[in-house]
Amino acid sequence: MKARELHANLHLLDRQVISADDGHPVCKIDDLELTFDEKGCPYIVSILTGPLALGPRLGGLAGRLMVAVTELFRPEEDPGPQRLPMRLVSDINSAVAVGGTPQEAALEHWARVNLIAPLPGSGAAPVAHDRRPARIGEVTGELRMSTLLGRRVLDAGGRAVGQVADVRLRQDGPMLGDVQHAFRVDGLIVVPRHTGRLFGYERGPHGPGPALVRALIRGLHRDSRYVTWEQVDTLGEDVRLSADMDALLPLSDLYRPVSADQGHENGPTPA
Amino acid sequence: MKKLFAVTLGILTAFGGFVDIGDLVANSLVGARFGMSLAWVVVVGVIGICLFAEMSGRIAAVSGRPVFDLVRERMGPRAGLVNLGASFFINVLTLAAEIGGASLALELATGINYLLWVPGVALVAWLVMWRVKFETMERVFGLAGLALVAFAVALWQLGPDWHELGRQLTQPPADEGAPTYWYYAIALLGGAMTPYEVFFFSSGGVEEKWTRKDLVTSRANVFIGFPLGGFLSLAIAGCAAVVFFPVKAEVDTLGQMLLPAGIGLGQLGLAAVIFGVFAATFGATLETALSSGYTISQYFGWQWGKLVRPRDAARFHAVVLAGVIVATALILTTIDPIMVTEYSLIFSAAALPLTYLPVLMIANDPDYMGDQVNGRFSNTLGTTYMILLLVVAAAAVPLMIATKAGQ
Repeated sequence: MKARELHANLHLLDRQVISADDGHPVCKIDDLELTFDEKGCPYIVSILTGPLALGPRLGGLAGRLMVAVTELFRPEEDPGPQRLPMRLVSDINSAVAVGGTPQEAALEHWARVNLIAPLPGSGAAPVAHDRRPARIGEVTGELRMSTLLGRRVLDAGGRAVGQVADVRLRQDGPMLGDVQHAFRVDGLIVVPRHTGRLFGYERGPHGPGPALVRALIRGLHRDSRYVTWEQVDTLGEDVRLSADMDALLPLSDLYRPVSADQGHENGPTPA
Repeated sequence: MKKLFAVTLGILTAFGGFVDIGDLVANSLVGARFGMSLAWVVVVGVIGICLFAEMSGRIAAVSGRPVFDLVRERMGPRAGLVNLGASFFINVLTLAAEIGGASLALELATGINYLLWVPGVALVAWLVMWRVKFETMERVFGLAGLALVAFAVALWQLGPDWHELGRQLTQPPADEGAPTYWYYAIALLGGAMTPYEVFFFSSGGVEEKWTRKDLVTSRANVFIGFPLGGFLSLAIAGCAAVVFFPVKAEVDTLGQMLLPAGIGLGQLGLAAVIFGVFAATFGATLETALSSGYTISQYFGWQWGKLVRPRDAARFHAVVLAGVIVATALILTTIDPIMVTEYSLIFSAAALPLTYLPVLMIANDPDYMGDQVNGRFSNTLGTTYMILLLVVAAAAVPLMIATKAGQ
């Protein structure tokens, strides 16, 4: 069976996470955490969520404030964001479904106990019995996806190729739990300019319309390239490649319809 | 039969719920100052909101995702946060205007100063959001808003010179400068295409668990209900154009705006219009307050909505409550609600591309939409509106400064 392919920024980051049981919203994928397999290839171990994952991605005053306020109220020495292990993910579609009962967000708990429950008709049980469910066993990783995005990419000769705009993932990494493979990094999409996102228009010559938007975004990113994982030498502060710039694949050649080979709508994910 | 009834009810709800304080104020002001010469903007606005709402309704039905989910998913967290800030600010401003409008309607009905009504209106609105089921809430106020049809009857009863109104369509008055003309054109567009309408429409679709089967319902609401609402907007402008435009009277209170209905239909007509304005603005109060909760909750991925008990969507309800309190406080500063409305219209128009662009992109994305992606017609129209909305957004605030907010 062909392994599923996804783009981290396009298909995973900022997607809604819903409960696999009843479909209620759980959180957003604020960040992803990666760890390295024995060959040194990074794969995704957990979804990070909460202000300590979103804050660093936002950056600036808003992001720092978000992190600082959260740390102020967390008693631990070195508080971390909430982690949802990737093995709980049962479906990746317009939303990402996770099984189990993830821990309730602290702010939700606080708002319920202090603001909503005291109001008549809120349907809340007496506050004293309202315990937060325990955390799911944590799997910590070594690298955050958001820190990989935006890194500078230099080729074998030290020439700047651009920056990482998205990370292509392939679901053939190590086993997570008993049933599914992890998504491992398969390659990097590198854009020459600091224009950031590709908005999904990197997908293929007949990718989504409208034609004008597609032409504009393609034009902005016309010298984008695709770097396979084999061409990556080291993942330092900059990503150093073992290949020369001219050996890199232009992004437009990459096209294999990401959507078509997955089927769509409720189609079970091939693991 | 039952299906037909449901569809009809939905259309009537969209019809009655279309007009809010923004449409009322913008159309009356423009009718009085420019006659019918800006009527074409209402048509452009109605086509725009149909296009925008149809796409977001289709996305909600096919993928189950409401608009602000898409904004963050496609624009990323940073641009999404800027967008959230702008949308939330405009939402609260509009909420304040709607609360003010409902209170002014009560003042007209009772003679008691509107400021005394403001806390009561806000409290009742909050109670409705806290306890009443989504569908009941939407239906009751949508249908009650149909009383505004009295404006159309009044226009007909006023027996205007239709030939003269027709002539005004193409001839702006000579004594108004081009900047004010375009400034009011943007205000009218902001009235017809308010972002909260789309937040509310798509979130409502998700709450009612629309599936592909409901696409017909969604489209019927949009393509029949909204144009009927637009027709009502034109009737309001027409009334003002008949009564105030020939005598060059300035309109700046809600009482004056409703006066043509009184002239045309007498006391009964005036009563119907006051009732209609109250229903429409109160309904819009609920929609804007819930929208402020929807936007923040959907950006952060919180549980939202009225299908679950408040205790299970604590953050959502806390945001709605906070929004109502801030908006009430704003109106209680004795700031003129009509002025708040005018500003909210201009900012709404300026912020439109922020939510329109992600919706246009996702409506084209087969990952979300499967075979329901935009067709060639939607995309041609969608691209035209994208350019139009970008131009409007760029021009809105400079024009506001240049014309000193339309003076």
